[in-house]
Amino acid sequence: MKRRSVLFTLLLAGAFGLCVGPFYWLAMAATQKNSDVFSWPPKLLPGGHLMENLQGLQDSIGLTRVLFNTVLVAGVQTAGAVVVSVLAGYAFAKFEFRGRNLFFVLLLSTLVLPDTVMLIPIFEMMMKLGLIDSYQSVILPGLVTPFGIFLMRQALRSMPDELLDAARVDGAGELRVLWRIVIPVNRPVIAALALFVFLGGWNQFVWPLIALRSPDMYTLPVATATLQGLATTNYAQVLLAAAIAAIPVMALFLVLQRQFISGLLAGATKE
Amino acid sequence: MSLAPSEPAPATAAPAGRGTTDRPGRTRPDRRRLLTRTSVPYLLIMPAVLGFAIFKAYPIVASLWISLTTGNGAGRHFTGLDNYQRLLNDPLFWTALKNTALILVVQVPLMLGLALLVALGLDSTKVWLRPLWRLGVFVPSLTGLVAAGVMFSVILNRDAGLLNWVLSLFGIDRVNWLGSPFWARVGVVLVITWHYTGYNAVIYLAGLQGIPQELYEAAKVDGAGPVRRFVSLTLPQLRPILLLTVVLSTIGTLQLFDEPYVLTGGGPDNATLTVTMYLYNNGFKYFDFGYASALAYALALIVAVLGFLQVRLMGERK
Amino acid sequence: MSHQLSRRRLLQLATASVAGLGLTACGDNGSGSAGDDGDSGRITVWSWTTAAKGLRSVVPSFERDNPGIEVDVQDVGNPAIWDKITVGLASGGKGLADVLHIGVDYLPGYLDKFPDGIADLSRLGADTYEDAFAKGLWPTVMGKDKAAHALPWEVNPLGLFYRHDHFEKAGVDPDGIGDWNDMIAAGSKILDATGVRLLGLDKTGATQDMDFFQNLMQLQDVFYFDQDGKITLASPAAVEALTLIKRLNDAGLIADTAGQGTEKRLLGQGKLATYAEAAWAVEYLASTFPEQKGKWRSMQPPAAVPGGRRNAIVNSTYLAVSGSSTRRRAAWRFIEYALTEPARINRMFASGGVFPALKAAYDDPRFSAPHPFYGGQKVLKPFVASLSADARPTNFTGDYARALKFASDAQSQVLIKGADPADALKKAAEQLAQQTGRQQAV
Repeated sequence: MKRRSVLFTLLLAGAFGLCVGPFYWLAMAATQKNSDVFSWPPKLLPGGHLMENLQGLQDSIGLTRVLFNTVLVAGVQTAGAVVVSVLAGYAFAKFEFRGRNLFFVLLLSTLVLPDTVMLIPIFEMMMKLGLIDSYQSVILPGLVTPFGIFLMRQALRSMPDELLDAARVDGAGELRVLWRIVIPVNRPVIAALALFVFLGGWNQFVWPLIALRSPDMYTLPVATATLQGLATTNYAQVLLAAAIAAIPVMALFLVLQRQFISGLLAGATKE
Repeated sequence: MSLAPSEPAPATAAPAGRGTTDRPGRTRPDRRRLLTRTSVPYLLIMPAVLGFAIFKAYPIVASLWISLTTGNGAGRHFTGLDNYQRLLNDPLFWTALKNTALILVVQVPLMLGLALLVALGLDSTKVWLRPLWRLGVFVPSLTGLVAAGVMFSVILNRDAGLLNWVLSLFGIDRVNWLGSPFWARVGVVLVITWHYTGYNAVIYLAGLQGIPQELYEAAKVDGAGPVRRFVSLTLPQLRPILLLTVVLSTIGTLQLFDEPYVLTGGGPDNATLTVTMYLYNNGFKYFDFGYASALAYALALIVAVLGFLQVRLMGERK
Repeated sequence: MSHQLSRRRLLQLATASVAGLGLTACGDNGSGSAGDDGDSGRITVWSWTTAAKGLRSVVPSFERDNPGIEVDVQDVGNPAIWDKITVGLASGGKGLADVLHIGVDYLPGYLDKFPDGIADLSRLGADTYEDAFAKGLWPTVMGKDKAAHALPWEVNPLGLFYRHDHFEKAGVDPDGIGDWNDMIAAGSKILDATGVRLLGLDKTGATQDMDFFQNLMQLQDVFYFDQDGKITLASPAAVEALTLIKRLNDAGLIADTAGQGTEKRLLGQGKLATYAEAAWAVEYLASTFPEQKGKWRSMQPPAAVPGGRRNAIVNSTYLAVSGSSTRRRAAWRFIEYALTEPARINRMFASGGVFPALKAAYDDPRFSAPHPFYGGQKVLKPFVASLSADARPTNFTGDYARALKFASDAQSQVLIKGADPADALKKAAEQLAQQTGRQQAV
């Protein structure tokens, strides 16, 4: 029979503590008075200043507007990237067409190229199109995700062709096949992809930092970063902003973790 | 750093360019429909092609051109390889490259080694509550770099940070985490390791669970001990996944930006200045786009060469 | 219309649209709009926080006195405003406001890199005001074309705030301090008597706040660049300044303010005996640490070298008109209205805290009024006095950001690694020359 090992379990519990401990401290620090953030020893129990800090964030960065921007950007990006990925993944998985392999290789090779190479031309492009400081400037570059296309291709390849052909014989058009068969059958992978893209959009920092100029367009990471380092900075508020950035995503993950991890592993299991 | 939303790594390398085994659909031209079997795939990939052309292909080509110019807007003019020449003579570029290499050499093996250990633990049937631990170690990788950076800039505070407090419980003196060149590097390595170890561990876990149990049984029958089984069975079986994580971690570390940007600003005295940070400063603080693009291409070249070498070295023995 | 999209047709469409976008993206529209001297209509103004609030307070009377002109003051936020103006200028004036609030650290760079980006105000009559502002400011508004491109609004003369209680306890007489040598001696006394360090400095340079080093140079009429734009970062005066910082550090008088919120925390705990800052800090200290009421005083900054000057302008800000504005005359009228009349500029001082550059404004009694936070001291008086003295202009050039970076590195090397100030600055100046193509002054 299996023997359980206390030692192994404790080691993993230690790793768990190192990973999760900082989040606990963050959640507590976000409820302190500014002057208590840097107290010694650190405050490890709830502090009762949460509402006050929330109000402070509302006054300093316009928290509600910033959250709205973040959800809008991440949401639209997610919807767009999922559509693009499903369509292209379906084409790569189930159709023969000229240039297919070439394009697929090109697409994947961008995974290996540093994003930094593209930063400046995209910036100049956006500048000349007058899109700097707009939602579009942040959303558009995120719509084509090589990883998403790759993931969908892997997932859709494992669908039996008979399923699709049967529908076609019944007279269903291609769009109908996609909508009625392909998407419903692959809903879990699509959900995982959506979660990935949303996470990426919610957390993205460098490009929005460059593309967005005015405080009422900022997303949460950009607004949080600009709060830092001023003489007047209120650290309880900065930490609260960090907590607001981190905690909802963790909750979302908790709810959807099964799809999330299986999506992450899709490449491995579907090959 | 990430321009597009960060893309989690696929767990196996793409079988790119391989001929498909799928049966091509029957081509049955139907003139009544706009969407025929021939036109459909082109319509389907059209958005991807457009986006790729505008936001990937064009920028890659354009930045090569920009790297050969100097000046802004209407004043931009061609200068040949001047920017690359300047780069070779720029001590800060070499400092940044040295820092990046140092972090790479220390951090990637450390993180992947820890990830493998955690994965072995998570795979072991001897451990209680495995799903909980798996969840916990994965959670840091969900955090955006800004949130993580803000959090750690306070946790690593010398006088009042959580980490120094925890260390003081063990009788260890306060460490000047972000204030001394040496400890600032250690701090950056710590934060990156915290961030990505669990993510890699979960990928390894999938690899471990994909190794057929019969192989282990056979090895046991042959009298191989646990260490022997790990070295001669587990590691070879994991090689493709190990290779993938090594390559991806290398790319990630070479492009390191967010942690030093938020934690140290590249200091003290450039101890944590990375190539990407230096690129950012030149492009977006000094508006010297030509030079920044040259830095980007130099970096791309290094990434490509290193990636190629790793694939050759680790993939060869198969 | 064809019902069946052929592959060829699709490819054509795709190529055409990509090419179209590519062309738009590549097309050179760096020329931008030429602008016009319109004298009426709606003008927009970019400023930030309290300054924007101050500007808004003069809008109603301006609109009443100037029928046909409407003013919209927008708070763009600082530092966001710099990127926003820079991007606007780089794209040929696209999307810029008519009136721009610009700091002295950016104005020369804009004039340098975007010669048509900021409108010529001499043409509109700005030269009348050449002598109206604090000394040393007018040269900073001049472009290479020898025309004025902005009017000074805010000026921040350097001061030195000190903890009266700590000085008293250590038996230090502030009036006996004439230069930083005296201050180092006093600092050691204060450290012995109270355990409080003389001043805070970010030793790691993460914030790149080099004001203290800059001030010590400015007190010797030197900066990173001379008036011709040549590099003076390794000049004897710069070495003197950094050596002074090293001596302060070696004597244990500098508290490291690296890290989030450290300086504010140390000030709040009373652990810094002085605060070498500009006029804006008068209200900052009073409003941030109200519980320290009565403990602070201010004095003229000590000279960097014995017998040296005891006044310096830390920085200044300006209002300018964008070159691409189609209502340049209307925009100029607003600037002239807001910045050249003592009553209005003092109203903005009262509502926005912006210390005026207009000399006539200092006659107002508020500049000699006792301040309760400073134990009833007439705290603004030394600042005004230092502005009336002779002051040399500071040339920030278009490469200030790079100079700042290298200077900050040099200071960190000295403070953290014990490097020799002269060596560190020599290296910094060489790198600055290599990166900017500027020559070093000899």
